[in-house]
Amino acid sequence: MFKDLDPILHSQLRLAVISLLISVKEAEFTFIKEKTNSSAGNLSVQINKLKEAGYINVTKQFRDNYPLTMCRITPEGITAFEKYVNALQSYMKL
Amino acid sequence: MATEETVLTEKESLALISQMINKAKNAYHSTGVGAMLWGAVIAICSLVKLSEIHFNYTFPFDIYLLTLLAIIPQIYISVKEKKQKPVKSYDDIFLDYVWLAFGISIFLLVHINASVFGSWEPVAVEYKSLTGHSAAFRFSEFVSPFFLLLYGMPTFITGAACKFKPMLYGGIFCWLCCIVTVYTNIKIDLLLTAFSAIIAWFIPGLFMEKEYRMAKKQEKMHV
Repeated sequence: MFKDLDPILHSQLRLAVISLLISVKEAEFTFIKEKTNSSAGNLSVQINKLKEAGYINVTKQFRDNYPLTMCRITPEGITAFEKYVNALQSYMKL
Repeated sequence: MATEETVLTEKESLALISQMINKAKNAYHSTGVGAMLWGAVIAICSLVKLSEIHFNYTFPFDIYLLTLLAIIPQIYISVKEKKQKPVKSYDDIFLDYVWLAFGISIFLLVHINASVFGSWEPVAVEYKSLTGHSAAFRFSEFVSPFFLLLYGMPTFITGAACKFKPMLYGGIFCWLCCIVTVYTNIKIDLLLTAFSAIIAWFIPGLFMEKEYRMAKKQEKMHV
């Protein structure tokens, strides 16, 4: 029986963002933008979707008078990511 | 990267996941300034102490006070590096604790040594006054191995955790010197301590600095 792939994660940019955040404690928006080679606008939209799904936490602060957006994966995000990878692996075995 | 609408196959998804995890792992390069600072400070302290013993003179102040002074630039470097880091990894947090534990252990070891030396010194003086010659056991001869033992631990862990061979080998070098210094006199001990500091910290610091500059250069080329 096929496991359903989480539609929130089964998109290139959102999966890239979650994969980056799974291996770090927290990351700046600019760092994610650089590593995913995405535009600020598109990334902003996808981060919002992940945030609404409860998969990441987004905090906004200031550093040296510049806005700083920090992203961190939530326990729900980790669970969803693990389920997604398990589902992918079950597909690959077939 | 393509837009969010791009549909991925299972293979592509797994490839993307591993690619992103690797990118996160190689995200930040330390400036290496802290490692160079401590490598230089410990080497200088050991060599000055060695020259004091060899040329029989006393420096105007205890040269090891330099290590306390070095804490100030170290705090500045740490705060600056933390501010520059666009990402906080679990490895960083783990290594921060390892080096904090190392700092506390060194402080405790200095305290233990001072306490033991304080207790032993009157016995040695009395022995000399009674027998006319110095005691065969000299506590100062056995201090260096303990320090080298401690120097090796965080260096080896950092090298292994960051897959950074110069530090990994540096840690092993400290432990080899630790064994050797058990059997050598204080002059050789101090010389090996200076070598250890250079090989375990100063030289890896130079490599880190080089990697950092190259990473910065590449970043600029991509902008």
